[in-house]
Amino acid sequence: MKANPNIDELLNSFLDGELPVRQQTEVQRLAARDPQVGRRLRELQSCKTLIGALPRAEAPGEMLEQIKLCLERRTLLDEPSVSSRSTAGAWNLMARRLVAAAAMIALLGVLGVVVYQIVTPVPGTGVNRPVAGTSESPTGIGPGGTIPAMVADSGFSGRLEIRTASFPNTSDFITRAVEDNGLSGSVGSEVTGNSRIFRVASTREGVNRLLASLGEIWQTFDAATLHVDRPGQHTIAVTVEAVTPEQAARIVAHGSTQASVDAARSYAQTNAMRRNMPAGDILDMIHDDTSSARDLTNIDDIVRRAGPPEKTLAAPQGRIDTTLTIILLRSR
Amino acid sequence: MRAVSINIDDSVLVRQSQGGDTTAMERLILKYQNRIFNLILKMCGNPDDAAELTQETFVKVIESIDKFKGRSSFYTWLFRIAVNLTLNYCQRHARIATRSLDADETEQDGAAESLLRDFLSDDRAADPATVAQSRELCDLAMESLLKLEEPQRAVVALRDIEGMNYNEIADVLNIEVGTVRSRLSRARSILREILESMVNEGESKHR
Repeated sequence: MKANPNIDELLNSFLDGELPVRQQTEVQRLAARDPQVGRRLRELQSCKTLIGALPRAEAPGEMLEQIKLCLERRTLLDEPSVSSRSTAGAWNLMARRLVAAAAMIALLGVLGVVVYQIVTPVPGTGVNRPVAGTSESPTGIGPGGTIPAMVADSGFSGRLEIRTASFPNTSDFITRAVEDNGLSGSVGSEVTGNSRIFRVASTREGVNRLLASLGEIWQTFDAATLHVDRPGQHTIAVTVEAVTPEQAARIVAHGSTQASVDAARSYAQTNAMRRNMPAGDILDMIHDDTSSARDLTNIDDIVRRAGPPEKTLAAPQGRIDTTLTIILLRSR
Repeated sequence: MRAVSINIDDSVLVRQSQGGDTTAMERLILKYQNRIFNLILKMCGNPDDAAELTQETFVKVIESIDKFKGRSSFYTWLFRIAVNLTLNYCQRHARIATRSLDADETEQDGAAESLLRDFLSDDRAADPATVAQSRELCDLAMESLLKLEEPQRAVVALRDIEGMNYNEIADVLNIEVGTVRSRLSRARSILREILESMVNEGESKHR
């Protein structure tokens, strides 16, 4: 029998007991008299029976506990709704308080690290921090304003990966910057396919001057990532994504490798938070180093404190304790 | 000593829950968790997702119990939340569900289709025990249910699995009783076509 929507509705209502008694009797009579209607009634009945006879599944045994856990998890993400205070609150009020306290502590910790990074004088400049064994020069600035080679640490070692669409221009710029900063003798370079590698082994001051120069074109980079090695090893300790020239300079300028690693770690967290937070509002208010003008000012400041710029093309004076490998990559 | 089971009305438990009594809410959860889970499972077809959606349903109930004014029964309000969550879920995951269904189909060996043909062609009143005893028949029934569009699946599940009457279904789905009647009728008609096509495909595949 071809399905007729009106008759089907009537038959289904009959099967579901949704018809008044008088109509029920009529359907029974119709089905008995008309074999096609009777057959259609059985077809629909078999569908109803088939679905209705599906075995009943039971909820997992730990459902109640899972619901409680789910509520607790939700408090980690959401503010409690007014409507849930009385019931849900009884279950997780304590959890909410703990989470709120933990969040405050974590926020204060991050703020503390960021503020520390801002206010701590750059090691090597020695403005406030005497360097061990520098009795004659407690400021740490030696004759001529250069950094004395007094650092007992093995020095910074790391890798700066730069991606740019204007590969040839950037490559030429770095080559010029190396020469202008008197680093020619300290840099080895190699070209492979879509990359160029500059290995810089110099003083912190020398490397920072190079970074200051790079700061002029930093905005043209598609990406800049700084990998900082573990002290005394060539394994990566920290990776700072979207590193700014100021951050790179500060990391390099630290007095010990461990301090560089620590600084890099805090910048890595800061940058990650900035990427994850809407517009990075809070952090930008505290530590606004996104502006390239500000970066350059600060970099110059760091370099100035580290020692006067060498305009004479002479190699930087001091201990060669800093290794920075700049890997220039062509953006796809 | 014999344990005494006290059957407290939903409205009492709801009032107690609204007053902050977590035990009352726990009793409501324990009372309905299996029915909610079963309904959701029949609508989405995946036990893990059904468990998660059941949790989500009760979490929503707990969070909004204060807003429940008792204009409908707690039972229909609870099922409305469950069905809405599940329908949203099904719409988001429709492609995945279809894909897993296609994968299952290839594993049939023809015996199930043969059972189904016998079941559908039996002129006597269909026997629920026959279905319940056959895993293959249940699988095909479930597969056919999942092939319905979500709104039709919801109305079939509420009527044939949960056993709600048309008024309750209308209340849960927030539609007119007439719409329930026509949607259910259309759904059963399509279901019949799906089942018949399964039988035909099974026979042609193993001929």
